[in-house]
Formats: sequence, C-alpha cells, structure tokens
Amino acid sequence: MERTIKKVLVANRGVPAVRIMHTCRDRKIATTAVYSTPDRLAHHVYMADTAVHIGDAPPAKSYLNMERIIDAAKKSKVDAIHPGWGFLSENPDFAQAVIDNGFIWIGPPPSAIKLLGDKIEAKKMAQRASVPVIPGISPVESIEDIKNWMKKENISYPIILKAVAGGGGKGMFRVDSEAELINAFNQTQSEAVKSFGDKRIMAEKYISHGRHIEVQVVADEAGNVVHLYERECTLQRRHQKIIEEAPSPSIDDDLRQEICFAAVRLMREVKYVSAGTVEFILDPPNRKFYFLEVNTRLQVEHGITELITGLDIVGIMIDIAMGKNLHIKQSDVRPNRWALEVRLNAENPRNFSPSFGRITRLLVPQGPGVRIASGVYEGADVPPYYDSLIMLVITAGVDRDDAIRVMDRALGRNLRVEGVQTLAPLLLAIIRHPAFKAGEFSTHFIETHMDELVATFRDRNSEDEVLKIAHYVAEVSALGPPSWI
Amino acid sequence: MENKEFVFVTPEMDSKEILKKIRDSKEVFFTSTAMRDAGQSDYKNRLRIHDLLTLAPLYNEMGLFSAECHGGARWHVGIMNRKEDPFEEIRLLRANMPNVLLQTLVRETNLWGYRPYPKNIVEYAISRVDIDVWRCFSFLNDIRNMRTVAEIVMGKGKIFEPTISFTDADWATDNYYLKVVDEIISLCGSPKDIILAIKDMAGVGTTKRIGRLIDAIKQRYPDLIIQYHRHMTDGLALPAYLSAAMAGAKIFDVEEDSLVRFYGQPPILAVEAYFREAGIEVHLNRPLAEEAVLKVREWINSYDWAESPFRGFDHTVTYHRMPGGAFPSSFEQASKGNFLELMPAILKVMSLYNKIVHYFDVTPGSQITWVTCSGIVNRYAKEQGSAGIKNLIRLLEKFIYEKGQDFNAMDKEEQLELLGLFKNAPEDFKNLIMGQYGKLPDGWPADWVYMSTFGSEWEEKIKSRKEESPDENSKNEDLERLRWNLKDAIGRNPTDEEFVLYLMHPKDTIEFIEWRDKFGEAPLVLPTNVWRKGLKKPGDKVEFELWGKPYCIELVSIGAENDGVIHVVVLVNNKTKVYEVYTQKAKKVEKRMAKGPNDIASPVNGTVWRIGNPERGVLHVGDIVHKGEEIANVEAMKMENVVAAPFDGQIVEICVKLNELVQEGQLLFVIDRMVKDTRAEIPADS
Repeated sequence: MERTIKKVLVANRGVPAVRIMHTCRDRKIATTAVYSTPDRLAHHVYMADTAVHIGDAPPAKSYLNMERIIDAAKKSKVDAIHPGWGFLSENPDFAQAVIDNGFIWIGPPPSAIKLLGDKIEAKKMAQRASVPVIPGISPVESIEDIKNWMKKENISYPIILKAVAGGGGKGMFRVDSEAELINAFNQTQSEAVKSFGDKRIMAEKYISHGRHIEVQVVADEAGNVVHLYERECTLQRRHQKIIEEAPSPSIDDDLRQEICFAAVRLMREVKYVSAGTVEFILDPPNRKFYFLEVNTRLQVEHGITELITGLDIVGIMIDIAMGKNLHIKQSDVRPNRWALEVRLNAENPRNFSPSFGRITRLLVPQGPGVRIASGVYEGADVPPYYDSLIMLVITAGVDRDDAIRVMDRALGRNLRVEGVQTLAPLLLAIIRHPAFKAGEFSTHFIETHMDELVATFRDRNSEDEVLKIAHYVAEVSALGPPSWI
Repeated sequence: MENKEFVFVTPEMDSKEILKKIRDSKEVFFTSTAMRDAGQSDYKNRLRIHDLLTLAPLYNEMGLFSAECHGGARWHVGIMNRKEDPFEEIRLLRANMPNVLLQTLVRETNLWGYRPYPKNIVEYAISRVDIDVWRCFSFLNDIRNMRTVAEIVMGKGKIFEPTISFTDADWATDNYYLKVVDEIISLCGSPKDIILAIKDMAGVGTTKRIGRLIDAIKQRYPDLIIQYHRHMTDGLALPAYLSAAMAGAKIFDVEEDSLVRFYGQPPILAVEAYFREAGIEVHLNRPLAEEAVLKVREWINSYDWAESPFRGFDHTVTYHRMPGGAFPSSFEQASKGNFLELMPAILKVMSLYNKIVHYFDVTPGSQITWVTCSGIVNRYAKEQGSAGIKNLIRLLEKFIYEKGQDFNAMDKEEQLELLGLFKNAPEDFKNLIMGQYGKLPDGWPADWVYMSTFGSEWEEKIKSRKEESPDENSKNEDLERLRWNLKDAIGRNPTDEEFVLYLMHPKDTIEFIEWRDKFGEAPLVLPTNVWRKGLKKPGDKVEFELWGKPYCIELVSIGAENDGVIHVVVLVNNKTKVYEVYTQKAKKVEKRMAKGPNDIASPVNGTVWRIGNPERGVLHVGDIVHKGEEIANVEAMKMENVVAAPFDGQIVEICVKLNELVQEGQLLFVIDRMVKDTRAEIPADS
C-alpha cells in the first residue's frame, strides 16, 4: 500500500536533523524541526520550513519527550516522523505512538525495534539465523551471577558489561580483573538507568584487539533485503566510534561475502523493514566474526556507504516508509570508491573533555572529494546538554590512500573552528599514523598510541596566535596604556 | 665601499683568534650599546626588540666588535614590562644579524638576578644562554666572585670580559685598580685570553684620570685589550674617550647619536669623527652607521614617555655617583612613590653616604645605596619636614668634612643622631656590611655604622662578618625541586628557558609566562604606539607579519562600559571578532584550578553529580580516602567520569558543590597525602 509523504517532522537536532532535511529538500518534502529552549537558534531549526518548541534543555524534557513531539507533529500537520539517530530513534514505544497517532514512522516497525533492541532476544535470533554469537550471559542480577557464568563456561577476563537496553557506547564497561568488577558493575547499572531507564545489564566475553565491522542493510515491506556492504568502525575511544571507513581494510572478498550475507540472513529472519545495521566483531587472527547487535535506525556513519554506492539511504528509508519496494536489487549495488569519515566532536583532543560555547568562527573544508555534514554554523552555540558531535567530515577517493590524502587536506588545511575545541588535531594525527595508514589497528588503537598521537599535535598555529594578539589590541584600545608597561 | 670587508669578527670564529685580530689591529673598535645600556640609561629599558631589530641588518655589516643586547635589567624589565623573553630576543638577533657578536653583562655570581647563585645554577643558566661576549663585573671588585663564571664561560670557548668597576674617590687609586687587574689576570691565566673592561657606570672618569689609569694598566700588561665603558652623565665623555684611546684602550662603547640623551653612552658618529681628527683609526662602516642613526629616528619618538623626568647632564654625578643605568628607574620610583621633590636631597645624601661606606655604585650596590639613602631622606621628611633634611645634611657634612669622620669628635647629641641613621636600613644593606656579597673594596665601614645598623648586637655581628667569597662557599640547590615549583605554579611542564627565567626572577617569571600564554606574540609584532595605546579610532589598523604570513587588525568599535565589561569589535584579516574586555569594575568570578600535587582536578567539563561513591555515600572534609577509591563523579554528555583518589590521604577541602558545573582542570578536592604508617607493614608474627 503506497502512502504519500508531503511533510516530515524530524525528531532530532544537530547533524542528523540537518542530514535528513537535506534529502527532504531534494525530494521537495517540507520539514518541521523540533527544538529545545537552548536550540532556538540552532542550525536544524534554520534548515527546516517550520519549527516547534518542545521543551527545556534536558533531553528528557525535549528531544526525549514523546508527547511534546507528537503534539508538534499534529500542530505542524506532518505526514511522517523521522527520528534520526540517538534520542528516540530506537524506542519502540515512540515508534508505536507515532503510528497510533496516524503518522508514518520512517524506520523499522516497532516490533523489530523492540525485538532487536533487547540484546538477549537479538542474540537468540542471530543463533536461529545461523549467525555466530559471542559467549555471554544476560541479564545478570549480581556480580555473583557473572562469576558463576565465567566458571561454568570457562571464560577468562577481560569481559564486558553492557546495559541490556543500551547502545551508542553508553553504559558499557570493560573489566580486566575481578578487582574492577564491583566498580564497573555499579557504574554500568547507574548509566543504564540514567541513559535508558532500564537497569538490566549483561556480561560478555571481551574480544581483545577485535575489529568492529558492520553491514548496512535495507529492506522493504515486500520482504526484499539488500545489503549495501560493510563499514569498518574499529577506531573508537571509550566505545564510541570516531573514524569509520568503507569498505573495510580488515577483510578480503570471501569474508566480505560471508559477513554481508550473514547480515542479510538475520534481517530476513526478523522480517526487518527500513534501513538497519548489523554489527559484528571480527577476531582477525582466526578470521572469525561474531554478531554483536542490530542498530534499528539510520547510523551516523551511513554517509560513507552512500559515497561508495551512490545511494541515498535516507531517501530509501522514505521510499520504504511510503510503501514502495526497493528500487535496487543486490546486483545493482556496486561500490566503486573508498570513503573515510571522521567525527568532529566538540571536545578537548587530549582527554575528550566536552567543550561548550559559541562557535565564533567556522571555515568548512572544501575541494574535490569532500562531503560535509554539519550540525552547526558560524555563530551557533554548542550547548552542554547533548552529544558533542558538531560535524562529519567525509572524504572519498579511488582507493584508501586517496581517501586518506583528501582527509589530510580537509582537516589539515581547510578546517577552522574557533570558540570551541574539536577533535581535529587528534583525527589528523590518527590518519597520519603509519599503523592507521597500513590498516593495522584495533579498538585499542587510540589508547595504545595516545601519547604518540598527542605528541604530533601542532601546539600553536598563526591563526590562533593572531587572535591572542587581537585580544591584546582590544584590551589596550579599550583601557589605554597598562600600568605595568 | 664593500660592506663585507668591515665584518672582521663573527660568532663562528674562535675566541682567541678574535682577540688576536683586535690586538694586532692598528684600529680601535666599537661596541654598540643601543640594544642594552642605551635603553637602560635613558629609557628605563623600554626599547623594544621590535624597534631594535630595525638596526640589525645594518649592524650585520657595520663592522662592530659586538652588540651589547643582554643584561640583568634588560632581562628583568623584559619579562615585567616589555613582556619579551631574553631567549627569544637572542634568537631574533641571531637570525637578523648573524655576523655580530652578542654581548651580555653579568653581575658575577648574581648573573642576571639579585642574589648570589650556587655553582649548579650558574652553570645551568650560562650553558643555556647563547652569548659570545660575557662582560662580568663585581660591584665590590671582589674578583673571587667571578671564578665560577670565568671557568664556565672560558670553558665554553666564549669571550670572557672581566670588568673593573670604576669610580673616582680618594681610596680608588691606580695602585688599587692595578691590584684588581692583577687578581683578574691570575684568575684568567693570561692577559691574552681576555678583554679587560673598565666600567665607568656613572661617567665620572676625568680626561686625565682615565688616561693615567689605562696607561698604568697597559704599562704592566701591554698585551691586554682594554675596553672602556662610560656613561655621559657628567658631560665630559668625549674627551675622556680620546684620552683613553691615546692611552691604548682598544674598544669603546657607543650608541646611535639619535638615541643619545644624557645618561647613556657617547654618540657613535661623533666619537668616530673626533677620533679620526685626532689621528686614531676607527674600524667602522660610517655610511651604515649614519643609516642606523636615521633608522632610530623612525621610532625613538614613541618612547618619550619612557624618558627620565629630569633631563640634562649632571656634573654633580661626581659627588652622588648615581650610575647612568639607575637614573631613569630611580626617578621613576621617586615619582611613583610621590617623593620626586626629595630627589635633590637624596642625591646629596648619596654623595655623603658613599664617603662613609665604600663600594661601587652599580647593581646591586646602586640599589642598596638608593634604597638606603632614599629611605633615610624619606624618614626625615616624614618626621621632621624639610628642616630635618637640612639638619641631616648639615650633620653629615660636619661629620665628614669638618671632623674627618671621627665619631668621638662629634658631640653627644650628634652621635645619637648618627646612631639613628641606619636603624631602618634595608636587609640588603645589612647583608652588604656583613660580607654576604663579598669583601668591600676599601675595607669594612667604621664600628659606629654597625652600632647604628644592629643596635646592641653590633659586636656579635662584626664577629660573624664573612671574609670569604659567596662564590666559594655556596651550596648547590635542588634544581629538580625548583623545577617542580615552577611546574606547579604554571600548571604545565616548563621549558628549560622558562626555568632559567624562573631561577633569576621567580615571581615575575610566573606572571610573565601566564601573560604570554594569554596574549602570545603581541609584544613582538605590534609597533610601539599600538603596543602602548592600542588603536584609537574606528578604521585604525595595524599590519604585521606573523610566522611568515600577513595579518591585519582593524578597530571597528569600542563599546560603552557595562557592568565592568567593554565590548571591543575588531576585524582580524577582515573577519569580525568581538572581545570582552574587563575593567577594574568587573566582578571577577575566578574558578580555582588544580595546580599542586595535592589538588584533585576535574577530568572533564561537566557536572559533579556525586561527591563520594555508592559504597561509602557522601564524602566530607576530614574523611580518609584510599588510592583508587572513587571520590566524585563528573557527568558530561551522559558519560560518567570517575574521579579517583590518586593516593591514600585525608580530604582537607571540598572545593565544589553537588551538581556544580565544573571546568576541566578545576579544583575539586585538596587531599593531604597520608604518610604511610610503617608499623602496619611489619608482619604480625615477626
């Protein structure tokens, strides 16, 4: 059954909201933004055709406030709601509420979100689809449960504790020894409650030096499931990805076929609809991969897949939500580029401490092979309440070296952000590191090489220095000769 | 005329080769003091490297023996007032005049600071300062104090220039100076290995006096190269220079004619012409020297504010002996302290004082004289007004001229008055007469000076007076610990150069480093009028190059003051930038940052949502915490960050409130490190 979408409410902010609005503009679909009080002048509000205030700064009062968002949808007379990533994107109750209120949900059915959002159930489904899984126990009530499981299944440290309802790197803690177990258990539980409102946690064997590889899948209501190949997301800090690329330099074509079709098998098994991502961990020494989880939403790093395939995943999600069948078959998907994405977070590049404030200057990288997805503009505020991502810088080239070269140019020559600190120096140091260039890295790459990476930061540049001089000129112009002079 | 041929010595050359070339030459040579003493004597050391650098390309070909560009007061005023780092000055000069020997002035074991440093600090500092010619003086002419510096400088193959401090006094005879020169030669080995400087810092050497002294020295040491350094204060510098040249002095300190005021060195072009007329050949590319004189005119007018309020020569310097370098700074202090009108009386008392205590009025001696005498005059002014000052001067004149300093010849009341003279003398004066700086050149002062200074303890004090040199009995200091102190103060690892700055002037260096971290290279690139006054009206701009790229800062507007804040809008390379400038009315809310080893910092920007941990609950001041124990948790962007105790200890202070928004590095706790109870480590059954 085909449905029309003439206006979409984007239940998000920042980079994802702006990204979705871009496709809507391409499709001549009108958009409505929602915003919290501090986001009144945010970039996504500017991009939208109309905008509705939905509450105060804390996410629970605004971007997680389902009632206010549904009200906003009614008020602005939209046909559909796109949740972006983060916030309510993987909340089945919200998806259900959207549908119950007569709107189209641009995303997978609530039942699929619910099923795959429960890590225990998801693991069962994977096993049923003959997809290998990591040994683990879930849920665990106490540290005794964990110790018993480890004894029974002969598991050694390290292990990892996760919020059952979690995702996005929050509520995850690696435990290297029994001594750390108590702190990690408490912290996982506390963050689980805080971030997901669900205190259940699970434990798993931790694959050290594993690589994160995920497969982008799109599926329509008619049951067609197509994969758009894999992405390599191994480079993380504190379990949050900061550099992604496609294709993965860690696998060969045989393993690629295997992993991509495992993902398709799983999504078929759960009768998935819309865009979704199946995440795996690869244990490189024995070329084995294990199912980790399914992200039932658009992902931050979808852009690199778009660059290598030429497809518009947000567009495909809208098509599917409108009841259309996929316009591509598996054999139509032929990647012919290498793409690299870095997450430009507003953070101190030495210790990842978030950096808030106003962006007083923003020069965006340009030139051949560069795609920018920005959530901010020059003059925008970066408030302390939300994710620190302000911009995605994506580059493409004929091969990996070429994509890295373009990224080096984009980060090293073109980009300038004043007012807040960004990860740019760290990102540049990583892509210049010989081990990264050789494709030799694991999830520990950043912690292992941090000192080395920081040592290559150029401490000072003339653009920063001239602002100090201008500051002095401003002071002395306003106050006259200083007494000490 | 080929410029190149004037360059006869370069920093790459061996020091002995340089000395030989000078000794063998028929000509005399010049050291330019424009970059140090000229600025010190007439402009309070405010001449900025930005302007001085305009002379560098000319100096590079001019054929100077050296450029004096470095010394204690230039260094100190550099970090306090000009916000320039002496190390970066040297680098800039090296880059812009690679042919020129760079010269410094050090106060023997005090180096560029104000206290005697132990050998390890002297060694550490000297080895990090890239200077070719090391002029070294002692305000007591106590040559023993030069040993460490001499050994290190000559060991490095640099030119050592031991210096005799010169004054004109009945006790400062040729024989006295020859004895000092003997000591210098025996310290340095051979008269061929050094340059001897005569430092006439007040400018009091008369034509005959200076000619006779140099002649006497040359008679005894014909191979010794003598450099005459003289200030112009008495107005008689040029004839004294000619007389010195006739007697065999080889190198003379000069400055650009357009830089000359009253208390610095003689004018380069005038000296060259005067010498030439007298038949003395001068090694100088005069056309380039003339260009340098013109160059100075381009910027010297922006320093009128730095000149001494008292202008003109002062022949009475032969009485009060205030050195040229101290003139402007003394007047500056008098004017800041609101006692400028007492200056004539202070100068008068100085002239009488230096008949009572004999040493040379040059740093730190000149400061001791100044602080002691201005203190005495100020005290009299406050207690007895101008009549009191007159009486004081009359009393001292009677004591010195009529009674020949015979204390017992004065009547009881006058004796009491004299005994009150030094009762509030500064610590440095006490250290001086206790021998802390070394031996006084003409013996210790009379007993009544000790009675006046120390009261009833005077006899004990005389007994404990030091006879040996501070250079001989100094104990090495713990450099690692000193470096840690600096690290704690600035919150990061200092560079070696910053550490040397800190060793010389601890407090001022910390302020300097913080200032430069904030305002960067403003002192290097801004022209002097902008440096001092900023941009005046909308549309005014300043253009400069920074690190090889052009920049422009243009003023758009200066807002009205509002709650202590002024908004200043500028264009930086045509891009708008708004700065908040805080006036004195601004309420400052300063976040305390963690600096010391017992300070616990927030790891991130975020909210302190828990003080304590789930096991123990809330922590309070006085609680004992253990290494690794969670003591607080900071949430940022929904991520929790554990703050763990870095060692066992007791909480002395909790510096934040629950749910307070904190900055990265902000002070959360102060924890007193617990000394381990060793008893607990002895096994129970042993």
